[in-house]
Amino acid sequence: MAGATDTALVSEDTSETEAVAAGAVGLAAVLFALSLASVFELVTITDPVAGVPMVALLGGLLVVLGFAVVTFGVGSRLGYVATDPRPTAGLLASGTFGLIWFVVGGLVASQTLGLGTAGWVVASLVTGGAAFAVSALPREDIGSTLPAGALAVFAGVVFLTGVIGPSWLWDLGWEQQASFNAEFTIPVLTAFCSLLVGWAAAKAYGGFGARGRHIGAYVLVYLNAISIIALLFLLVAFTVLKGLPGLFKGLAFGAGAGPEVTLVGVTFSLPVSWPFVMNGVALLNDVNGVLPAIVGTIWLVVGAVLFAVPLGIGAAVFITEYADRGRFTQVVEIATNGLWSTPSIVFGLFGLAFLVPRLGNQKSLLAGMLTLGFMLLPLVVITSRESMLAVPDEYRDASAALGVTKWQTVRSIVLPAALPGIVTGIILGVGRIAGETAPILLTMSGSVAPPGSQTVDVLGGFQLQYAPPFVTNPELMQATSALPYQLYSLITAGVGQSSNISAIDEFRWATALILLVVVLGFYAIGIATRYYFRSKLQHD
Amino acid sequence: MNVLPNSDGAGLRAAARRGLRRGRDFVDETPPDALVTVTVAAVSLLAAFAGFLAVSSLTAIPFAVFLVATGYGWLRHQELTARVLTLTTTVSTILVLGLILVFIFAEAWPTVQYATVNVFGVPIPGLRLFIETRWSPVTPPIQYSLVPMIHGTVLVTIIATAVAAPLGVAAALFLSEIAPRTVRELVKPGVEILAGIPSIVYGFIGFTILSPWAADQFDIVGQGTYLFVGIVVGLMALPTVVSVAEDALNSVPESMKSGSLALGTTDWQTMTSITLPAAFSGVSAAVLLGVGRAIGETMAATVMLRGSPGLTKPLYNVFYGNDTLTSLIAANYGDADGLQLSALFVAGVILFVTVLFLSIGSQYIEARMRRKLGGAE
Amino acid sequence: MSETRQTTDDAQATADSELAGGASPGTDQPLEVTSGETRERTREEWVEHEFEGEAKLSVSDLDVYYGDDHALKSVSMEIPENSVTALIGPSGCGKSTFLRCLNRMNDRIKAASIDGSVRLEGEELYQDGVNLVELRKRVGMVFQSPNPFPKSIADNISYGPRKHGDLDTGLLANLLGRSDDDAVDELVERSLQQAALWDEVNDRLDDNALGLSGGQQQRLCIARALATDPEVLLMDEPASALDPIATSKIEDLVHDLAEEYTVVIVTHNMQQAARISDQTAVFLTGGELVEYGDTDQVFEDPQSQRVEDYISGKFG
Ligand SMILES: Nc1ncnc2c1ncn2[C@@H]1O[C@H](COP(=O)(O)OP(=O)(O)OP(=O)(O)O)[C@@H](O)[C@H]1O
Ligand SMILES: [Mg+2]
Repeated sequence: MAGATDTALVSEDTSETEAVAAGAVGLAAVLFALSLASVFELVTITDPVAGVPMVALLGGLLVVLGFAVVTFGVGSRLGYVATDPRPTAGLLASGTFGLIWFVVGGLVASQTLGLGTAGWVVASLVTGGAAFAVSALPREDIGSTLPAGALAVFAGVVFLTGVIGPSWLWDLGWEQQASFNAEFTIPVLTAFCSLLVGWAAAKAYGGFGARGRHIGAYVLVYLNAISIIALLFLLVAFTVLKGLPGLFKGLAFGAGAGPEVTLVGVTFSLPVSWPFVMNGVALLNDVNGVLPAIVGTIWLVVGAVLFAVPLGIGAAVFITEYADRGRFTQVVEIATNGLWSTPSIVFGLFGLAFLVPRLGNQKSLLAGMLTLGFMLLPLVVITSRESMLAVPDEYRDASAALGVTKWQTVRSIVLPAALPGIVTGIILGVGRIAGETAPILLTMSGSVAPPGSQTVDVLGGFQLQYAPPFVTNPELMQATSALPYQLYSLITAGVGQSSNISAIDEFRWATALILLVVVLGFYAIGIATRYYFRSKLQHD
Repeated sequence: MNVLPNSDGAGLRAAARRGLRRGRDFVDETPPDALVTVTVAAVSLLAAFAGFLAVSSLTAIPFAVFLVATGYGWLRHQELTARVLTLTTTVSTILVLGLILVFIFAEAWPTVQYATVNVFGVPIPGLRLFIETRWSPVTPPIQYSLVPMIHGTVLVTIIATAVAAPLGVAAALFLSEIAPRTVRELVKPGVEILAGIPSIVYGFIGFTILSPWAADQFDIVGQGTYLFVGIVVGLMALPTVVSVAEDALNSVPESMKSGSLALGTTDWQTMTSITLPAAFSGVSAAVLLGVGRAIGETMAATVMLRGSPGLTKPLYNVFYGNDTLTSLIAANYGDADGLQLSALFVAGVILFVTVLFLSIGSQYIEARMRRKLGGAE
Repeated sequence: MSETRQTTDDAQATADSELAGGASPGTDQPLEVTSGETRERTREEWVEHEFEGEAKLSVSDLDVYYGDDHALKSVSMEIPENSVTALIGPSGCGKSTFLRCLNRMNDRIKAASIDGSVRLEGEELYQDGVNLVELRKRVGMVFQSPNPFPKSIADNISYGPRKHGDLDTGLLANLLGRSDDDAVDELVERSLQQAALWDEVNDRLDDNALGLSGGQQQRLCIARALATDPEVLLMDEPASALDPIATSKIEDLVHDLAEEYTVVIVTHNMQQAARISDQTAVFLTGGELVEYGDTDQVFEDPQSQRVEDYISGKFG
């Protein structure tokens, strides 16, 4: 193996050289954190940190780090450090380094030296080609440390000498103006270099070779996973923090605190007053609320479920239990998968073209329900079919052997067994449609900030008559609001339309939060049931 | 509920014929009144559907007949009725797709026809939508060019994919192969739940936080950049990509992974040389799903972009953002009519067809991989 | 099984220990009973095996649990260098479990917990800081069910050496003109020859290995393990799906390998164990190592009644 030392089966205690490499990885992590802090403007690049301006600190650390890594690589090549490198750093690493140095060369030539197109192309090719060669031709220990370390040292020197200093600005010179300033560029370049050098140092820590690559890759993969989790968590936490004040404004408990409701002929006051979810928007309200939107969302979901679930389950039963596998089931599968991936705005357009003219020629709750029902349908079919296919054939055979008819088998054996999966699918689908804005925007949207009196009362709206269509419900036939639409209209509404809402920003965030809670609530329930039934299945 | 037709549409004729043949087989053993009931139900449903299509107020009559007939059938001949009903629901599912196709194409047609160009005497409908670069529905010369929005959609999709695909696949690798069990059991459901964050919430955060920050940082005139819309859409697609790709990686059999490890390879080598290639179809389906979401994403683009159709200058200027196909529809449907509305439907057709092809493509890849790998999935 | 264990009454146990010549140390556990199996306690001297030369692997007091399931009970044995050791025993007695302990593949099973010591040339495998990659390079394994990679036949064989960096056929190596294509070809041919598969597949080395038959896959996995050139080769029923001709070729291979390698082989075929192995270990129901010694001695003159019953086919 390319003159490598034999790897011991049991690694001894951390050697000094390993400690150096680990220190470099740690330093890169610190540098990465520092640069993130300045991207998010927690510190500015001119702030003194530990007595030196931030920019000088970043530059200095980069130089130190770059030299450390290069020294390690050279030391390994000269045999001072026991490692296990491959003959080459590999195509991926070489290509990446080549590309990075290609860009660096081009930018320096065109922006700093002011060369023309021919000039910077040549410079780019020279630096890129050199980086590729340095990375690909020598042994892995040189090939993966030298280009990375050199880049860090180069960037550090550029920052230290002030070529990119705090007042640096690069106007891209485009017609639609955009420019990079030092506040952004320096931290981002530092973060990039620290990632690259951190990776090289992690490889060095693992002694290059398979183990080194493993550790280098793991450092990046861990960092990626942590950032994603942190980011998504921050997103939710941020919305919650911003939304909470508005959400619970004016919350009061106590007998008779809340609004009066009439249930089964008895009128009483709720023991809780929660203005944000119990009020609409009105000029005289102390606290404005989103009651019409909440009720609208509930009815939308109910309507869509009533429409899509019977259809979807029926279709799934037919293609799983009745139809022979072949052309027809294939067509249905492709159709449902195609429907499932159709963009929601296309459903909105369809509702606008197909449903709206046929349902009283105006946007209406019913049109919204059906549009969302169309969206929900494929998911119900797919999940129902999946869970029915998961029911073992023995169950069906056992039932058929008893002389029970097909439908009886389906009804008493297959559907009950598949129920958990179906329910989970429906809940997840409901979560998705409850948060959709685009389809209802085109099919049922009402006023920007509806007053409490515009809350739909579907149950109370039914009217019977003797002429067709026998049953009418004006409540279903008129436009109303829903939470996602409400949020959208609050964002885009001009000052005039939302002027009767005081503290509009708080109101928006609270709306966003309640939407998030409703939708993620559906998801959480759906996923919890899924995991519950899965684990139950495994234990049985 | 009126959209419950029996059998209609081109691709279903074969199915209908097969149904008929089966029906003929039934005739011997099925009581005549059952046949009559089913026939009445089918015919009345067809009539109801026709009535609905024709915007007739009489639609309710045949629909009521259908309800009565099925009710009777359910009580007296449940077996047959159940079969026919489930067939009906299946056909309606396909019909939904068919109706979407028909209606958005029909609505799009006027503009396509309006934009006909004669090339060497051959009229090519719709060509002008793609060779002009100005969207100007009100001020003459009236032009309905979709090029700026396609440009916007392409930029946003590329950026979003560049964010979601590598980070998503890496995170899926982490979850499925690297993370300790407890972390995995906590994070996986968390990621699945986060996949549900409504896009308007992302749009809201992008609009209130990200766009002003970007405008300030990059000294842009006004707000709205393809770059940050792309990043937001990429983040939005990320949980979906992670969760689907994780499922695919997880379904690679343990025996394959341990087979590689037992040869003395590192975990990373096993992941990149065995697990990822074996799960390639699933992982690419996850990425395609993410791409599809990015293309079809509406709300974040609508609230974050400027809504003034036009190309960016230069074309690769991602620090400026005009409109995407989706945001064009969402922002303009309200005050559009006639040809302009029809042009929005053309945008819808483009979205629909593109995503449909992506979906069919990913299904094809998966089917092929399954066939190629034989028993090993 | 645990139910039957509980039904063993004390009187029976006393009788058994008398029958077996007194209580043996370290067996506080209740006695094992399976249908047709005589009740008898194990004794330490039955598993003592004297041999010349060094022990390649020494196992002492190895216990394996799958959750609450006690799959291996205090197994101790020394496996000599450059020899063939056969593991036999009824299904589910823990042979595969034991084998997996020798290259720490049990680490992959989340429910498994391992207690005890395994040493490879004196170095403890169950301690902190063991380089699992290095261990598995030195202790290769052929699994009970064939598990070829979804790659071409040739790639399956060259996979290990390529990943170890011994051979490089990557694009970059090709560009730089230092690709090891010839060495790879040679390795593929040699390994497939050894595993008696070359003649059947030499014209389709680039076909996907998943297209091979079960028996061919089994031999491919043997060839794949040989290609990495391990010091110890663990084989879990490598001939279970093979016809007599291929089986005898594999047996010859194992025999030849023993000159340089240490082979530990699980088999359900008693004749096979007798033919190819130098020493044999008999595991019996419940995860106990009941008898271990020279193959001839174990088969011709077993010390344990249960082993004798098992070998003569009275149960198992
Ligand atoms: N992954 C696992 N999880 C839980 N229990 C296991 C696992 N693998 C094996 N076992 C249990 O450990 C015991 C020993 O299994 P092992 O596979 O070692 O038997 P074996 O001797 O190889 O049998 P066979 O000859 O049938 O291959 C069995 O009771 C089995 O149920
Ligand atoms: Mg076994």
